Amino acid sequence: MTQKEIHNKRLLKEANERALQLVTRRHFLKESAMGFGALAIGSLLGGCHFGSSNGVNSTLFDPAHPLAPKLPMFPGRAKSVIYLHMAGAPSQLELFDYKPALMKLDGQDCPQSLLEGKRFAFIRGVPKMLAPQANFKQRGQCGAWVSDHLPHFSTIVDEVSFLKSVTTDQFNHAPAQLLVHTGSPRLGRPSMGSWVTYGLGTENQNLPGFVVLTSGGKFPDAGKSVWGSGFLPSVYQGVQCRSEGDPVLFIKDPAGMDRDLRKASIDAINEVNKKEYEEYRDPEILSRISQYEMAYRMQISVPDVMNINDEPQYIHDMYGTQPNKACFANNILLARKLVEKGVRFVQLFDWGWDSHGSDANLAIDVGFINKCRQVDKSITALILDLKQRGLLEETLVVWGGEFGRTPMQENREGKQNPFKGRDHHTEAFTIWMAGGGIKKGASYGETDEIGYASIGGKVTPFDIQATILNQLGFNHEKFTYQFQGRPFRLTDVSGEVIREILA
Amino acid sequence: MFLSIPEFIGHLHPVLVHVPIGILLLGCLFLWQSRKDKTEHLQPVINVILFWGMVSAFLSCITGYILSTTGDYEEGLVEFHQWMGIAVAAISAFVYYINKKNILYRWQTMFTVMLLLLIIVTGHLGGSLTHGSDYLTKPLLDPGADPDVAVKRKPIPNVQEAAVYSDLLEPVFKAKCYTCHGRSKQKGKLRLDQPDLMMKGGKDGKVIIPGNPKESELVKRILLPKEADHHMAPREKAQLTEQEISLIGWWIENGADFTRKVKDLPQPDKIKSQLLDLQKATIEVKPLPELPTQPVEKADQQSVAALTNAGVVVLPISQNSNYLEANFINPQMPLDSLIHLLAPLKPQLVSLKLSGLPLTDQMLSSIANCTQIRRLELDHTNITDQGLQSLQSLDQLYSLNLVGTRVTATGVLSLKSLKKLKSVYLFQTGIKGSDWQILKRAFPGALIDSGGYTVPFLPTDTMIVRPPKRKG
Repeated sequence: MTQKEIHNKRLLKEANERALQLVTRRHFLKESAMGFGALAIGSLLGGCHFGSSNGVNSTLFDPAHPLAPKLPMFPGRAKSVIYLHMAGAPSQLELFDYKPALMKLDGQDCPQSLLEGKRFAFIRGVPKMLAPQANFKQRGQCGAWVSDHLPHFSTIVDEVSFLKSVTTDQFNHAPAQLLVHTGSPRLGRPSMGSWVTYGLGTENQNLPGFVVLTSGGKFPDAGKSVWGSGFLPSVYQGVQCRSEGDPVLFIKDPAGMDRDLRKASIDAINEVNKKEYEEYRDPEILSRISQYEMAYRMQISVPDVMNINDEPQYIHDMYGTQPNKACFANNILLARKLVEKGVRFVQLFDWGWDSHGSDANLAIDVGFINKCRQVDKSITALILDLKQRGLLEETLVVWGGEFGRTPMQENREGKQNPFKGRDHHTEAFTIWMAGGGIKKGASYGETDEIGYASIGGKVTPFDIQATILNQLGFNHEKFTYQFQGRPFRLTDVSGEVIREILA
Repeated sequence: MFLSIPEFIGHLHPVLVHVPIGILLLGCLFLWQSRKDKTEHLQPVINVILFWGMVSAFLSCITGYILSTTGDYEEGLVEFHQWMGIAVAAISAFVYYINKKNILYRWQTMFTVMLLLLIIVTGHLGGSLTHGSDYLTKPLLDPGADPDVAVKRKPIPNVQEAAVYSDLLEPVFKAKCYTCHGRSKQKGKLRLDQPDLMMKGGKDGKVIIPGNPKESELVKRILLPKEADHHMAPREKAQLTEQEISLIGWWIENGADFTRKVKDLPQPDKIKSQLLDLQKATIEVKPLPELPTQPVEKADQQSVAALTNAGVVVLPISQNSNYLEANFINPQMPLDSLIHLLAPLKPQLVSLKLSGLPLTDQMLSSIANCTQIRRLELDHTNITDQGLQSLQSLDQLYSLNLVGTRVTATGVLSLKSLKKLKSVYLFQTGIKGSDWQILKRAFPGALIDSGGYTVPFLPTDTMIVRPPKRKG
């Protein structure tokens, strides 16, 4: 008898004994008394539990193949999404929203009309206005205004659509980030990537469907909940990969265990689980079996796709990568590789955009410029690289923060900050989208002459979520999941597709 | 005021009916119990209980009859309820009689069961009369039903051209009013299912006063608080949405005309935005221009299954579509044994991805028949100009990816006849120099993507801005 057979036999015996322990006379009596009642009520309520009101497609969750590719509601324009989140919220007034009128107001007291009835995260009393700390030019054929902080991105404005009048109702990082990614400022809702992998599955069964990459030295303030699965089955949560060291923790076999032995033990575990399933018919067991198998395949495929060293030099030059470091440029190259391999949703977080002016790194005229330089080249490279590979047609790229920044200089606790900076601002900020059926070189929404508030084309995070789902082939109002007695959706009770920016 | 005494008595019916139900139920239960040795002592009271049950059943019948003559209920249902009620009274009298005389002892149980069944049926019919016939089963059959939902409409491509009454309002009345104010039932003697009857009004007179929505009973009742007795629609029924109410008001204000179009009426801002919402909400999603519009029959399931088992992702492009996309993402069998399985999918296959596979020119010839293909991704394969010849038949081709192959300008030019081609990706191919100009001229209006983009190195890319030195 081989080692493997002995191993399997022992595991099976153990499982059988565990199963026998359950079948006592007391257990039988209890189960029969309760069970028949449950059967009766179950059949009475049949269809109530998971049933959607139209009675079809009550759940898209197939426990045996939770990530198998599924059909969109209508043919979508995009197959995958890369969401670039600048955590901390970059200033729209130094990047895209050109406000020459604000220049003249520099240093003046903010008028009361802008402060009355408003609440800010840090501004107290009467702050001073702060002129744009950047030079702007019109770029490309579309004539979009972009500042000198983004010299590379300025060359590709004809590929993107700007939303210049995005608003939110959360002025703190964590709730605002949750709102952008889960549709609710409170914890507990599934993130956009989870909804998408739940609805569409993923084409490459050797890789996770939803990958998260972080840079900037810190996690987003809202923590892992921004890629959590909420009430959806946990298999849909984002898989956080690291760009330094092992891409996924514990992906390597431990010392002394070779791949054959690993395979043998996974086979044995699955065999036990199959017996368990035959006995109890709990679909979650099938889910577990498929997860073990996927993890085994991923041990090979993940390190392979997550290794950027085999990319040619011209690609590294294009993205401006930094070998063996955890940085945004490396992550964004990974994002391209992942999408190319059929990963459905890639979410990047880059921390460090919270330009309050409370120290040099968070100053709008110091640290902010450095952050721009860290991302400008690689974002530009991503768009161009996707384009030349023919991938941009079916890949939706979204760039943005969780809110905007005030036209006023921040005066924390009523005192002047040591550096120039702006406070959190909910009433207007800029987000751009590209590829995946989005109009090229378009702009939607306008702000007033100092960039304080929207004066037209106002959109909310819900509208952006609705648009992303629309591009993937989902009607955000019908894409629901039954939970706690009501159908939930990503956009909750609002959201409208921003048709103005659709190609 | 004395004239309304019969009506008052009639209104006692809903209260009174619960008395016989309770008493007769108790009588039946006691009768069954008394057949057991342990509870034999119940025997003497059964007759008293049945007597009062019988009396109250008769009283219920009388009040019920009076109510049926005054109230306005669905006729068929009332009649059925009435006869069942009379049957309950009759059977209860019969059971009382045989119990008192102590005859048919063995049959008594059977008659009580019958009585009980009759009570259940009668009670349910009564409930259906007051709460609607789907009252009991509704929460089971339609758990997600939301009473405030907007009416489902046919798409309105241009709201200005829509007829105000028949396109915008009639669907609302139909969904939310006709059940009680239509052909089958005319509560308050009002019918809303025909224009003339609508204008005629109900037993209290006109309900619509053209030009004056505030004085129109129809609008007034809709606007009453939900708790009010006269509020319409009745609070347990589907309510009108705010939008629907304001559109009705707008229509009455402008003369309650049954033929005019939206553009004929003045439109205040509020109405204008609601009209636009209506148009927006009913916009059908625009189908992708490159996708076929003709429906197609279901694909050959054997080929689909064979490909799927070999690790190829073959799926319809969306729910309710039989057109297919195929992605050879991780094929677990040699490509030449799989590629010919595509031939039977010819009518359905609109998108095919063979990226990064050892695909040869010969294999390409087997997809030459799949003329429905719109998107074809052949990047990083072994194909050459020769293989492109077999693509000449794909006259629906919209997007072609040839990145990282050995094709040259000659091969691509041979596809010139494909008029629908909108984008061709040619990064890292054998095309050089002046060939690009020739290609761009040969495919006017199409994107000929040469790739090879660079992002130049700027000195500022790696420069780090430092804070200015501070004085003191």
